[in-house]
Amino acid sequence: MAFWLSSPFQRKRLLLAAGALALLGLLVLAAMLWRNWNAVALGPQHSVQTINPKVGIHTRLTDEVEPWKIKRTWEMVREMGSPWAVEYFPWAYVEGARGRFEWAHSDLVVAHAARQGVQVVARLGFVPEWARPAETTPLYLDAEHFADFGLYAAAFVARYADTIDHVIIWNEPNLALEWGFQPPDPVKYTEMLRVIYPMIKAANPNVQVLAGALAPTNAPPGSAEAMNDLDFLRAMYAAGAAPYFDMLAIHAYGWHGDPDEPADAGAINFRRAELMRAIMVENGDSAKQAMITEGGWNDHPRWTRAVHPAQRIAYTLRAYQIADAEWPWLDALCLWVFRFPWDQKSYQDYYTFVRTDFEPRPIYSEMQGYTAGELLPAAGANSAGDQP
Amino acid sequence: MRRRMWGLAVLLLLGMVVGGLLLGGPPAWLTGGDPTWARMVDDAKLRVGIDPSFPPFDQLDDAGAPAGFDVDLAQALAARWGMRVEIVPISFDSLLDAVKATRVDAVISAMPYDERQTRDVTYSQPYFEAGIRLVVRADSPIRDTAGLAGRRVAVEWGSAGDMIARRLQRSDEIALEPVLYDTPQDALTAAASGDVDALLIDQVSLRLAQGAGAPLVAVGPVLESNPYVILTPRKAPQLAAAVNEALIALSDDGTLAALADRWFGSAATPAAEEGLP
Repeated sequence: MAFWLSSPFQRKRLLLAAGALALLGLLVLAAMLWRNWNAVALGPQHSVQTINPKVGIHTRLTDEVEPWKIKRTWEMVREMGSPWAVEYFPWAYVEGARGRFEWAHSDLVVAHAARQGVQVVARLGFVPEWARPAETTPLYLDAEHFADFGLYAAAFVARYADTIDHVIIWNEPNLALEWGFQPPDPVKYTEMLRVIYPMIKAANPNVQVLAGALAPTNAPPGSAEAMNDLDFLRAMYAAGAAPYFDMLAIHAYGWHGDPDEPADAGAINFRRAELMRAIMVENGDSAKQAMITEGGWNDHPRWTRAVHPAQRIAYTLRAYQIADAEWPWLDALCLWVFRFPWDQKSYQDYYTFVRTDFEPRPIYSEMQGYTAGELLPAAGANSAGDQP
Repeated sequence: MRRRMWGLAVLLLLGMVVGGLLLGGPPAWLTGGDPTWARMVDDAKLRVGIDPSFPPFDQLDDAGAPAGFDVDLAQALAARWGMRVEIVPISFDSLLDAVKATRVDAVISAMPYDERQTRDVTYSQPYFEAGIRLVVRADSPIRDTAGLAGRRVAVEWGSAGDMIARRLQRSDEIALEPVLYDTPQDALTAAASGDVDALLIDQVSLRLAQGAGAPLVAVGPVLESNPYVILTPRKAPQLAAAVNEALIALSDDGTLAALADRWFGSAATPAAEEGLP
C-alpha cells in the first residue's frame, strides 16, 4: 500500500477517485432531496358532496409529473362535486420492459384520488415497444400479445384492488387511428376481451370490466378510417363478446346538438347513448349497467363541431340531469376533459373545465353550483337562449 | 510575433462566428439560404393558407372567393414585394401543418401565437390584438378594472370575459356584479344601451360592434392577450424578416388601420385608448 501511494501519479489517481466518489454521493443526496421536496402529503380523507351521484369527469394525468398538480387536480375534481373520474394508465408507461413494472406514477395518481374520495375508472391500453412489431404505433396489438396485455391488466387490478373497481379495455377500437392504423375489427377486439377478461377476474373477481368505449361515428361501410359504432357493437355481440365484459363504456359527444335532441342512428348527438343501450337490450344484456366514459361539448370559437360557451354550460348541466333522472342503466357520466398538463393550442383546450394553471373556467364554477344544489345563473333572463 | 498575430486573427474569426450563431442563428449562406423566398421571387408569387370560416378576417364572398381582412393583408404584403397572391383554402386544424410542410409560404388566418410551436414555424410580430378588453361607453368614468367595484359588468356566459370577471371577484376582490348574456352580441347591446356599466369582451367582437356604431371604447390594458400573427416556414429567414418589415411599414402608413375600417367598419369612437387597429 505504501508503495502504491508512494508514486505521485498514483496518489493523484486516488485523489481523483475520491473526488469522483464524493461527487457521486452528492448527486445521490441531491436526487433524494429533490424527491422529498417534490413529495406531497396525501392529507386527510375526504368525500365528494354532490346532489347527483352520477357526475363524473375524464381527467388527464398521464403526463402530469408534478405530485402537487396531481393532488390539486383531485382536490378540484372533488370540489366540483364529481365522485367519478376516468383516468388513463398506459401499459407502456408501467411495463416498459417485459415483466418489470414501474408503478410509482400510477400509485401517486390512485392514492391521491382515493384520498379525495374520487372513484377512478381506469382506462387501460397503449402497447409497449416489446409487445408489438417495429414501425407500429402504441395502439397496435397482435393477438399473440393479448395475454401480455392481460398480464398487465391483471397486475393492475390486483395492485389496486382496494381502490379501483372499474377498468376499461382499450379505447375507441372502431377507429383505425386507435387500432394501430389497421381496419377496425370487432371480431379481433372480441377475441382480445375473451383472452383478457378471465385473467382480470382471476386477479380481482370484484372488478368490473368495461368494454366498447367506441367513438360515435357514421362512417360508411368499408371505410378505412372508422366503423360505425352501432354496427361495431352489434358485431361484437355477434362474435360472442357478451360473457367477456361486465359493463359497456359509451362515448357520448354532443357536437352541435342539445342533449334533448332525440336519438337518431343517422346523427351524432348525446342521446346516441340510448341507441347503444338498445343494442345491449336487444342482445339480452339489459342486466348490465353502462358508463359514459367520454363525451360533452366544445366551445372553441372556430372549430366546426363547437357550440357557444353559454350553450356548452347549459348543455353540460342538462346532460348530467338526464343521466341522473332518465337513464337508470347508467352509473356515471364522465365528460371529456377536466384539464390538460399543458395547453394543446387546438380545439381540445375548449373541452377543458380547468385551465392548465388550475384557473377554473366558468363551466367548472357552474358545475360546482349545480352539484351543490344551487339555482343556475339566470343568463336566460338577460337574453334568449337555452337553459336547462 | 507573426504566429501570435495569426493566432489572434483565428480567435477573432471564431469569436465572430460563434457570436453570430448565438445572436442570430446560422447565416443563410451557411444553411443553403432561404429556398422559400427564392422560389417566391422566381415565381413572383406568395402562396397563403387561409381558413375562410372566420369573418371578417377570413370568409367567402358572394362569388365563393376567399375574402376578408387577411386576404387584403396578404395582397398588401405581396404588393410590396412585387408579387401576386395565391390563396390556398385550408381547414383551421391543418393550417399549421400546411406551413410546416411548406405547402404554403405563409398562413395569414387570424392565427394566435403559440410558444410551443416556435421550433416548427416562425411567427411574425402581431398584426391584430384579439384579446379580452374592459369596455365602457365613451362617456363612462370607468378607466380600469379597479373602477368596477359595485358596477354591473356584462359578460358572455362561459366566455374568457366571464372567467376574468370571476377572477377579478375572487383574486382581486373587486365586488363587481356580473351580468350574464348568452351571446357576445347581447352583452354588447346591453353595454351600448347603458343597461350595464361595463363589459369584458374580446377585441374582435368589440371592433365589429364599434363598426356598427356602438358608442363603446376599450380602456386599460389588454386583460388576456390573444395576438394574431403570420406563420412562415422555420427555414425561411428572409421571408420572415420581409414579413416583419412589411408589417411595420403597413402599420406606420395606416394600411392596417384602413383594413380594420374596411372589414369592421369605421369606429365612431376610438377602437381603444391606445389605438389598436
